[in-house]
Amino acid sequence: MGSMKQNLSADPSKKGCPPNLSCRTECSEGMTGISPSAGKNAPEEGLEGFSITEQPMAFSNALSEANTILIIDDDEINRGILGHLFSGNYAIEEAENGKAGLRAIQKNRKRLCAILLDVLMPEMDGLETLRHLKAAGLLDEIPVFLITAETTDAVMREAYQMGVMDVISKPVVPYVVLRRVNSLVELFRARRSLSTQVMKQQAELINKANQIIRLNQGMIEALSTAIEFRSEESGDHVQRIHDITRYVLQNTEWGKGLTDDSIENIALASIMHDVGKIAIPDSILNKPGRLTPEEFEIMKTHTTAGARLLDQIPQLRENGAYYYAKDIALHHHERWDGGGYPDGLKGEEISPWAQVVSLADVYDALSCKRVYKDAFPREKVLDMIRTGQCGVFNPRLLGCFFEAEPQLALIYEKETPGH
Amino acid sequence: MQARMKEKLGEAGIDVSAALERFMGNEALLERFLKKFLNDASYEKLVAAIDAEQQEDALAAAHTLKGVSGNLAMTELFALLTEQVAAFRANDWDKAVKLMPEISKNYEMISAAISALE
Repeated sequence: MGSMKQNLSADPSKKGCPPNLSCRTECSEGMTGISPSAGKNAPEEGLEGFSITEQPMAFSNALSEANTILIIDDDEINRGILGHLFSGNYAIEEAENGKAGLRAIQKNRKRLCAILLDVLMPEMDGLETLRHLKAAGLLDEIPVFLITAETTDAVMREAYQMGVMDVISKPVVPYVVLRRVNSLVELFRARRSLSTQVMKQQAELINKANQIIRLNQGMIEALSTAIEFRSEESGDHVQRIHDITRYVLQNTEWGKGLTDDSIENIALASIMHDVGKIAIPDSILNKPGRLTPEEFEIMKTHTTAGARLLDQIPQLRENGAYYYAKDIALHHHERWDGGGYPDGLKGEEISPWAQVVSLADVYDALSCKRVYKDAFPREKVLDMIRTGQCGVFNPRLLGCFFEAEPQLALIYEKETPGH
Repeated sequence: MQARMKEKLGEAGIDVSAALERFMGNEALLERFLKKFLNDASYEKLVAAIDAEQQEDALAAAHTLKGVSGNLAMTELFALLTEQVAAFRANDWDKAVKLMPEISKNYEMISAAISALE
């Protein structure tokens, strides 16, 4: 039995391995399978069915993502057979035991599309390796195949339970292994691509939904601003009511029990509290002096007119803010003691949102210049509200309001410097 | 590989066409691994372990050799080693040892045929 020591050097190019093939991690002699035996030169013969020069091109055209198969087996021939089997379509990495295998996986994780795992190996056997992979959550990411002569029940059961995709027996039948591995690689790729697509579409949907919401808000603001415009208020009044309402709800006890969404809707709804003014004639709306009792009666109708108007806009009804908008438009002039209009609601009969908008409206009217008055200084505003000179309010609401007021005052400071 | 060579290997106990299938028709690859077989130390280890009555070592060597012979379609040798591995596992030392003469005979026949390849 002569032993023919093969003195193949470590230089891959000398062995016929294409230099740009992914390295064989534990290879000592180059495993592409086309290395000539010692002493022979060009391997033209024996290249049937396998052209090594094709390989590098195939890789550069293949998916830029995971296209590497890792073969973990201590038997050189097995690695050779499997490597050869798959090298036509995949890049190959090898490791000769579980430990080396885990290292190779760490290094190449993103590039791996399958792992072929032997069971009996020194240092770390297949099942142990599998346990590590499972713990790392890798079995859902990369299909793992057990390739083994030990197809005993116990081994198979544990392997399958852990999440191995398939158990393939040795010595391998090439077309069987090819089919099984290719099928699962394809499956995992399809899954990944599908989930990526789904995620993309989800993101797009959310984007579109947000756009629609912003559009809605924009239109509501436009509508309300346009209506307020007639009474020579600037659009800022509407914005301030929105901000004051939202601030009080978000930052005091008054908003307790309301979700963030509801608060946003209420703030949006508050913008429309005076849309009913569109039905009020200019002469009354912009009269600088005191209104006569008849004129006042007409003015009061802006509440009911507002509710009716909102009712007439079908698209609005689908908006979450609609529910609050109608209530606020109708009842923002009610009074805590029942002396308000149009319905003379008393106390808790008035919804919390109508109450807060009512107060915000008064606060803003006092703090700003209007046709019929100048802007009052802050101290006077607070005093008038506190002493009930401008309407009767829920004491609890007033408590929350005064708590928040220092922050709210900043809004007016910006607008009238030195106020 | 010439037909005559294939015949000789076949007579020695290697099912060449089955082996070629496993290597996807790559004769050069098959040849290379056949030659490697000669360098495989598993047979020597098996013999040594049996002499030294080391069951664990013997089992390991037999198992490795079994895998190699299976891959290279050395049908008879593979069958014998399968039996031997089973015997070792069943703790039937005597049965395992009894198989050695047949195993050795087959091994030497195959080695001779491979050496004659060049």
